[in-house]
Amino acid sequence: MGGFLPPAQRHSGLALAICTFLSLLLLATGERLPIASLRGIGAFVFAPFDRVVLSVDRLAAAWSENQQLHLRIAALELENERLRAGGEENERLRQQLNLPLYHARPLKAVEILSLSGEGLVTSATLSAGRHGGVHEGDPVVTTEGLLGRVSEVYPDLSRALLLTDPNVAVACEVESTGVLGVVRFNTAPRPRLVLTNVPLGDTVTIGERVVTSGLSQHFPRGLLVGRVARVGSDPSGLTQDIEIAPAARLSRIRHAFVLLIAGADKPAETKSAVNP
Amino acid sequence: MRSGGLSILLMLLVALLLRSTALSVLGARGVVIDVLAFATVAWSLRYGETSGTLLGFTIGLLADLDDGHWLGRHALVLALLGYAIGRLSHTLVRERTRTHLVVLAIATAVHQTWCTAFDLTGVAGWPYLLQRVALSVAVTAPLGALLIALARRLYGRPLFPHGPLGAGTTG
Repeated sequence: MGGFLPPAQRHSGLALAICTFLSLLLLATGERLPIASLRGIGAFVFAPFDRVVLSVDRLAAAWSENQQLHLRIAALELENERLRAGGEENERLRQQLNLPLYHARPLKAVEILSLSGEGLVTSATLSAGRHGGVHEGDPVVTTEGLLGRVSEVYPDLSRALLLTDPNVAVACEVESTGVLGVVRFNTAPRPRLVLTNVPLGDTVTIGERVVTSGLSQHFPRGLLVGRVARVGSDPSGLTQDIEIAPAARLSRIRHAFVLLIAGADKPAETKSAVNP
Repeated sequence: MRSGGLSILLMLLVALLLRSTALSVLGARGVVIDVLAFATVAWSLRYGETSGTLLGFTIGLLADLDDGHWLGRHALVLALLGYAIGRLSHTLVRERTRTHLVVLAIATAVHQTWCTAFDLTGVAGWPYLLQRVALSVAVTAPLGALLIALARRLYGRPLFPHGPLGAGTTG
């Protein structure tokens, strides 16, 4: 080595040894370290810069988005009238059948300040925290569907784990048939969202909507997660391998909503704020 | 010394900001521009193995904190890359675009392979790993070499000058 390379810089070997040792130590013990507060400080430091970088991108898209939103508001107002009448009718019928009433839950609009993850985005920094009423465990949704849940809460910011994080599991059901399963993100053989634990005997067809079942600790019933994209059998031959196309576009998220339920009492059922 | 520290801070800030904003959007669509490997390569070529190791470790650790899982994953591989590239930089023709292209390609391939391997479960994920690494190398190496070439043109002087090592080296 000495004949091939010139002499090393002073202390470079020591620096390498220390860095390697610390890295290996962190790899071995890092999962047990309380690093949430450190990440909170990092999010706080980077939030102003994130806002500046994102505002440039968002200003460029604001004009066309504004036009689209005007049209959408008009369409939604018409739809809202129809739904309000339907909702009142539904409430009357539920009362007559002695069924519990739905509870609408407050939403907190948040901006996505940054996305984390190497290649696959697995978490996001949200622009609201404890002071905004956000609690750990609150579901995060977009107008299209479920995005994930709040994992860490800081005073004015919070961090959400997205459905693409392999540690997130959501109890779900196929809306039309009530077939139950657990939605997880698998990286093998390729990254995809799958509905697991569905017995081979249950019938699931492509295109059906998959919503939260309410059996999960964090997610109320009725939040749209995605649609069935492919149905096959698991390598074990015991359960089905059902691929889900996520409803929320995880590649381009600007704004989201936090369902403020973790701080309050958790209902078994809630009125879907995303897809009425 | 003070300007060196400020440069490190600026480099860390820009790299991490890019990674968590604009590049993460591209990353979600499958195009990973490896800004961490780029920063480590550029720094190691300019300042040598000691600075390269320390910058690689620091930027990797910050990225690990941001990712939330596997603390030390980026830090280890980037520190090793910083050292290796810094050591080799004394013998390379550091101002050649071809050198930058090759070093960036190798560094990106090593970094992406190591980091992606942590997310895989079993042999079935290897095609995805290879595809992702190939795409990342194909995007990062030319773009990084182009950026360095542009920076050199704007700067008007060599970015990676060959300096004497005598005073600061061990025999």
